[in-house]
Amino acid sequence: MDSAIIIPLLAAAVQSGTPILYATLGEIFTEKSGVLNLGVEGCMIIGALTGFIVALATGSPVLAFVIAGFAGMTASAVHGVVCLWFKGNQVVSGLALTILGAGLANYLGTSYVGQIAPGFKPVPVPLLSQIPALGPIFFNHDPLVYLTYCIPPLMWLYLTRTRHGLSLRAAGEYPAAATAAGLNVAAYRWCGILVGGFFMGLGGAYLSLAYTHLWTNNLTGGRGWIAVALVIFAFWRPGRAVFGAYLFGGIMALQLRLQASGTQLPSSLLLMLPYALTVIVLVMSSWRQGANEAPAALGVNVEPID
Amino acid sequence: MTGRIPLIRLEAISKSFGDVHANRGISLEIDEGRILALLGENGAGKSTLMSILAGQLQPDAGTIFFAGDAIRLSSTEKAISLGIGMVYQHFKLVEAMTVAENVYLGHAGSFVLDWQKIHEEVMQLASQYGMQINPAARISTLSMGEKQQVEILKLLHRKSRVLIFDEPTAVLTPREAENLFATMRLMIGQGKAIVFISHKLEEVMSVADNIAILRRGEVVDRVAAADVKSTAELAERMVGREVLLQVERTPLEPRQIVLKVEGLSAASLADIDLEVRQGEILGLVGVAGNGQKPLVEMICGLVRPALGSVRLLGMDWQKFFANPSWDLALSYIPEDRQGLATCQGLDLLDNFLLTTRGGFVRGPWLRRGQAREKAERLLHDFDIRPPNLGALAWQLSGGNLQKMVLAREFYRKPRLIVAEQPTQGLDIAATEDVWKLLLEAREQAGVLLVTGDLSEALALSDRLAVMYNGRIVSTFYVDDEESVARIPQMMAGLQISA
Repeated sequence: MDSAIIIPLLAAAVQSGTPILYATLGEIFTEKSGVLNLGVEGCMIIGALTGFIVALATGSPVLAFVIAGFAGMTASAVHGVVCLWFKGNQVVSGLALTILGAGLANYLGTSYVGQIAPGFKPVPVPLLSQIPALGPIFFNHDPLVYLTYCIPPLMWLYLTRTRHGLSLRAAGEYPAAATAAGLNVAAYRWCGILVGGFFMGLGGAYLSLAYTHLWTNNLTGGRGWIAVALVIFAFWRPGRAVFGAYLFGGIMALQLRLQASGTQLPSSLLLMLPYALTVIVLVMSSWRQGANEAPAALGVNVEPID
Repeated sequence: MTGRIPLIRLEAISKSFGDVHANRGISLEIDEGRILALLGENGAGKSTLMSILAGQLQPDAGTIFFAGDAIRLSSTEKAISLGIGMVYQHFKLVEAMTVAENVYLGHAGSFVLDWQKIHEEVMQLASQYGMQINPAARISTLSMGEKQQVEILKLLHRKSRVLIFDEPTAVLTPREAENLFATMRLMIGQGKAIVFISHKLEEVMSVADNIAILRRGEVVDRVAAADVKSTAELAERMVGREVLLQVERTPLEPRQIVLKVEGLSAASLADIDLEVRQGEILGLVGVAGNGQKPLVEMICGLVRPALGSVRLLGMDWQKFFANPSWDLALSYIPEDRQGLATCQGLDLLDNFLLTTRGGFVRGPWLRRGQAREKAERLLHDFDIRPPNLGALAWQLSGGNLQKMVLAREFYRKPRLIVAEQPTQGLDIAATEDVWKLLLEAREQAGVLLVTGDLSEALALSDRLAVMYNGRIVSTFYVDDEESVARIPQMMAGLQISA
């Protein structure tokens, strides 16, 4: 293989990794506050549909993208109500949110199937896109890709270098300690859920506004689940999530290209690749003891005393 | 009260959980620059009282005065803002974070954290109180003593004026404990007020300025440490001797040996010898934490005995527990009736079947109908309320749950009963019921009664064994008045001069 094949492939890896990256960052943020949100897929697809409809109606992809974030936030708020108000089971609530989101999007989106909405177009970054190899891979994309370059470092700074981030992590590690320190654990967990849901919504909107520009049923295609797995692969670190998301993006791009090249391999096997990799990655991460870095109180509700 | 206003005054504080009175009309004063020790057995109400002061629990009645003003401590946040902080027995530290991160948690200040500056600040604060600690170390890498220092630093960093220590030495090595006491004295020197919860007599004697003794939810005594002549005196005040209840105990003829322990040694036990015969109650007394727990765990088959032999009903330990029989054998009535003796989320019938299911099986099937009949009769006989087998264990009050456990265990017609603090937290009526049941059980069984309540041991036991520091100091008959009089000395570990 020469660079004429590899560079476009890597560029495609970055692009198809981007929606997964948004979702993974969102889930990392939520899990850092101690809440397990398995409804990533649901939040994504609601974000995707909302973004698509708003773009179609207003013609403004930027507005559509932002509103899609709030749609994801609203969807995740359902999870917050169940888990934080009613102390419901986080796993069950998350699964229900996924099913709800998929069903809702399919139902409301039926009339939009096949339509095309205005979306984001690639905007090469001046100068940077001229760098050999790196330029076409990283700096010849739509603006939403560039946005994801800023989020991981900012999230890392927030979590490790700010008082608010410290408190949010404490709510996820040991709520009793946070409470003893006079912090309102529920408020930080709400923050984790809502901000996380916002990013998941953005991830979904990336699919309908930049990746495809059109609406089909089941647009997210399990990317939310891959994000859940990637959180573990990333050891809950925003930086590592980038690497993981591009790895998966690469596999997705590769299988598309293999199919297009007319290979003899059955397409169903190729389509399976990202999900098979998910399983492998999960096994490898638990070998590497990275699972120990999970927030200690992840998935554990804070029951009221007395 | 001659013009002097104590920093904190508790007045007539009461708190009950169901029908268990954890605190009954407690009044206390906490002064700056002094160490107040709260001394009492487990379940005496020390921790409840301090949780109220730390804002974790709300009292049912009573008032708290802070610098003369009546206040309501509605949350830990409120208590912290007033400068009341607690070093919990189970540390409230985030293991995955560093020392400095834990110290700064919840601290008001700038949005962005300058770790270098914070590290210096934490280091400086630590050295001010004679502690040496690396602010960048992760909590999970620290020793128990160091973790405790971080807890203290958290409070000092918030400029706490009252520091409450809940059994702080329980997890420390003797050397770490010495360091802690040195730190406490430094804090006193800086005008802080310290409340120190403990049941270790020597510590209280050596550290405290004032001592308040709690028993069964009440302050029974308040003394200045300087006025206490010996630990024995404290022990006597702590365990009490006055007779709350009178039960009639007619000695039975002791029959065959049902439990024989010989030369049993382990990490916290040294050369234990004891035997229990059918028809008698052997009272094992001592201040909690002197080896009673590991001894009971070995006798009841939870932990394998290391050195020495334990024989139950004439059988070797291994043989006895290899094929345990559900009836005519051993019944264990644990101290932790909510955690160990019952399943909180199951109903009374299922809880009844936990240990008696052996009697209700036919092949692989459980005969619940038959069990229900038997259990219903027990509810009635033991007067357990609510008399409803569908009630879940957690819905029962402590006394009723304990009666339920006893009913279940006695149904098994045990020949050896190990009862651990069987009346802890129970009211007088329930205590009397439990005492009568234990006395009746002697007909068919030998009873090992582990208790921290001396009046209970004296009321029920035929013989007494006193434990101190993993050893049985002495074993004697309850009518040996000379030995009985010396129990406080023995419990305090004083050498017995013959």
